[in-house]
Amino acid sequence: MDQFLSAVFAGTSRGAIYALVALGLVLVWRGAGVINFAQMGQAMFSTYVASTMIMNEYSYWIAFFVALIVGTILGAVVDLLVMRPLSGKRSSAMLASPAMRGTIPVIASLGIVGILQAAAGMIWAAEERGFPTPVNSLGLTIGGNVMPFTAFDLFVIGIVMVVLLITTIFFQKTGMGLAMRASALNPEVARLSGIRTSSVRTLSWAISGAASSLAGLLVTPSANLSPNTLDLILIIGFTATVIGGLDSLPGGVIGGFILGLVISFVNVYRSPSDIFLAILVLLLIVLLVRPQGLLGSKEVRRV
Amino acid sequence: MLKIENLVTEYGAVRALDGISFTAAEGKITTVIGANGAGKSTLLRTISGLERAKSGQITWADKSLIGKAPESIVRSGIAHVPEGHAVISQLTVSENIEMGALFRRRKNRSDVKLAIEEAYALFPRLAERSKQLAGTLSGGERQMLAISRALVSRPKLLLLDEPSLGLAPLVVEQIIQTVDDLCRKSGLTVLLVEQNANTALAVADYGVLLSLGKVVANLPAAELKADASLRAAYLGY
Repeated sequence: MDQFLSAVFAGTSRGAIYALVALGLVLVWRGAGVINFAQMGQAMFSTYVASTMIMNEYSYWIAFFVALIVGTILGAVVDLLVMRPLSGKRSSAMLASPAMRGTIPVIASLGIVGILQAAAGMIWAAEERGFPTPVNSLGLTIGGNVMPFTAFDLFVIGIVMVVLLITTIFFQKTGMGLAMRASALNPEVARLSGIRTSSVRTLSWAISGAASSLAGLLVTPSANLSPNTLDLILIIGFTATVIGGLDSLPGGVIGGFILGLVISFVNVYRSPSDIFLAILVLLLIVLLVRPQGLLGSKEVRRV
Repeated sequence: MLKIENLVTEYGAVRALDGISFTAAEGKITTVIGANGAGKSTLLRTISGLERAKSGQITWADKSLIGKAPESIVRSGIAHVPEGHAVISQLTVSENIEMGALFRRRKNRSDVKLAIEEAYALFPRLAERSKQLAGTLSGGERQMLAISRALVSRPKLLLLDEPSLGLAPLVVEQIIQTVDDLCRKSGLTVLLVEQNANTALAVADYGVLLSLGKVVANLPAAELKADASLRAAYLGY
């Protein structure tokens, strides 16, 4: 029973982090039509900033918020400096074709990962570092009994729930949220309604940057920090969005939690070496049964 | 007054507008008619900034609109209802309407509220369905919604692209009548693009006849309607 509960808690806490990564990916996909492979590269960078601050005796919380701000700015900068210029008019008909228009930003995002990883390597000497948690990450004891979860698990689940709640309220109840949904669904009608879609797009990149830098801060304590530790998280987060539906925010979040639980159960009841096989099987089943993802709409672009 | 001079718009090698000039009088309905491919929709899309003019001039209230983005053109009082009942079907009716006034919600909170109430009063069926997704509406209701979305921006000039497309005659009648009332009562200037020339000329003050990207006639609507030779040559009836 304890084994079961600890799998549930560890899975939910892991899944919460994947949900954040998926949230970031879906936001940029819906807002800009780009799969941002640089997302966790950005998060790695902001986590290094936090880690350096903590090593220089700043408190965890100051470093935490600075990292979130750095992640947000980095997201906006990627859009303003790289993606926006790329979406401009092109002279060559080949580069202007729809297929290339969709591909170029993705290639650019891969380039950004390379730049960020190289820069982090140069600045921080590519050394592996640990990363602290704000609360204890050993099994919690209540009334003398060791609980099947840690205080850090609860912290992660709690903070992600708050983020998801704020995101939902933002999208459903505010004018800016409506502007973001409208721009993603139909840019032409949005522009005719007076919505500045290019600013809205930058905002999507910024929010996505914030969500992924939070994911970076929450996942690093269990993985150590090096320039490419977060690559794997990106792959799992991307799998989560495909399972949940690439164009659905709730879908991506649900996909994240499902993957977290599956990974955790395989880890506890089988062996860690079966994790990737399990992810692959799950992905194949979803793609066969519901190719658009659990909550995705059928009109998603076919490639 | 909307003034268009020698306007040229091209799609690649195709010249959709080939040097168009006319003016649309303030507080009047000017209809732009012509066969398929005459350049009617391109004209509206160029005015609202969705397409870039190759050359020529568009002036509204003594200011040039050339080179401005659609989101700035809306702010100068021009609302465009594009062809095909352009609403966002995954948003609710009330969200679609609200969307049209988002850009001025901070400065004019009370007027935005009033404009939304007016839109519901104009089309009571939308009020009944305000929580439904726009995708569940009938064609006529969607057209009403698209017009409402445009009206809550408080336009001085309304660009309407084929509001009758795919709608039952009775619904067309109702929508055209509403636009006519708005124009007469609140001094709205309307540029109405229609393939259905009879319906359009019945309510319009002026008619501009386009053919292959050129203006072939620019007359008071009644005269254009009475001209059998123009009708036969360009509208085919």
